[in-house]
Amino acid sequence: MEQFWNVTLQLLEGFTQNCALFGVTLLAALPLGLIISFGSMSRFIPLKAVCRTFVWIIRGTPLLLQLFVVYYIPPMMTNGSFRFGDRMSAAMIAFIINYAAYFSEIYRGGIESIPKGQYEAGYVLGMTKSQIFFKVVLLQVIKRIIPPMSNEIITLVKDTSLARIILVEEILKFADDFRVQGLIWPVFYTGVFFLLFCGALTLLFRFIERKLDYYKG
Amino acid sequence: MAFLEVNNIKKSFGRTEVLKNISFSLEKGEVLAIIGSSGSGKTTLLRCINFLEAPQKGIISVGGEVLFDGDDPSKKKEKEIRKNRLHFGMVFQQFNLFPQYTVFENLILAPQLMAKEQIKANGEYMEAKTYKEAQEKIRAEADRLLKKVGLTEKKDSYPCDLSGGQQQRVAIARALALNPDVLCFDEPTSALDPELTGEVLNVIKGLKSTDSTMIVVTHEIGFARDVADKIIFMDNGVIEEEGTPQEVIENPKSRRTREFLSRFNQFGD
Repeated sequence: MEQFWNVTLQLLEGFTQNCALFGVTLLAALPLGLIISFGSMSRFIPLKAVCRTFVWIIRGTPLLLQLFVVYYIPPMMTNGSFRFGDRMSAAMIAFIINYAAYFSEIYRGGIESIPKGQYEAGYVLGMTKSQIFFKVVLLQVIKRIIPPMSNEIITLVKDTSLARIILVEEILKFADDFRVQGLIWPVFYTGVFFLLFCGALTLLFRFIERKLDYYKG
Repeated sequence: MAFLEVNNIKKSFGRTEVLKNISFSLEKGEVLAIIGSSGSGKTTLLRCINFLEAPQKGIISVGGEVLFDGDDPSKKKEKEIRKNRLHFGMVFQQFNLFPQYTVFENLILAPQLMAKEQIKANGEYMEAKTYKEAQEKIRAEADRLLKKVGLTEKKDSYPCDLSGGQQQRVAIARALALNPDVLCFDEPTSALDPELTGEVLNVIKGLKSTDSTMIVVTHEIGFARDVADKIIFMDNGVIEEEGTPQEVIENPKSRRTREFLSRFNQFGD
């Protein structure tokens, strides 16, 4: 029993790293994704090309590889004079870039699904482009993108364990250390942490969806 | 000079010429009905007047003020276009109400944003009392307009809970809330079930007064005959015929107008 509590505490300590990575990625990638989505919808062709290429590269390569790139390439390019302060920062950068690319495509889908008539109604009422976006379009976009967003955000929870590839001390790293010492069950036990976290998120998204259910369209 | 002057409007999409030299004028308080088959350019004309499309050529002026001149090479700033748009109101075929706002909020959104902007532009720190007064004025006006279109009791409903006819009446009230000089209707009843068109047409009819100038693009020939002071029949990007309802509908001179109207008469309209 004492062993169980010991393992739980250790894994919990690792899981706070997963949570930190999750939280920082979400906070930074949500707005960054919106900016990229504007870029990839821009009428200024070079900007559009840059954004779409960026999304293609990020979505076209494994996150695992991107973690290596962010962690190892900067010191290699600068002869070791620059590297990310710690492994966690490198992981955060890689995750933010990766998730911003995915989020940007979800935003783009949501924004482009809003009927043109909503913009035109705003224009003829003398509204500015930004007033139309923030007062008319944005809430409708949010309502439409909640289901795909929740999918992506739940995936993010589990993806955080990939950070162990650059030796971030996250939950699976701890569990694996136990395994090396001959204790196998903590590895399977980590699933409980992910399940609980994702369960809470699912409830949260269901709550938001219900909150936005007051209108249709 | 007439109140609304539209001169030599030309508009093409790619190689397709949609409007070929359209000119007409309208006096204050007059109702103009534009009829014609699909693809004749009626809607594009209305969209050009509302600056939703930019014509390649032509002049649009209201009350003597030139709002658009196709020969003016300077690109108009967004701010200027917005200001020009406010001379016109527009009611769309698909209503285009904002679904996340109640009926009342749909009416007050734009006037409120405008009021806020004015305060900011004047650089004044409006006193709480003045601000409150401005808000109250906007709300009172919205209430008055809802009464006018007969939807006071739907004030707090969302658009999705209204019938098509009711939604269109809200859209009319919303367009009126900014007190436009010319109110435009783009086939306001085409998306409605036949039994709902009456309520919308009655509201439009009720708006007719000495100082409300209206342009209605419509397929309701009977309505055009009863309400319009002036009718334009458009065909293939040109004004084929124009005149009073008696002239255009009762005694059309052009062969194309006669053909178009005969299709309606077949069904006893």
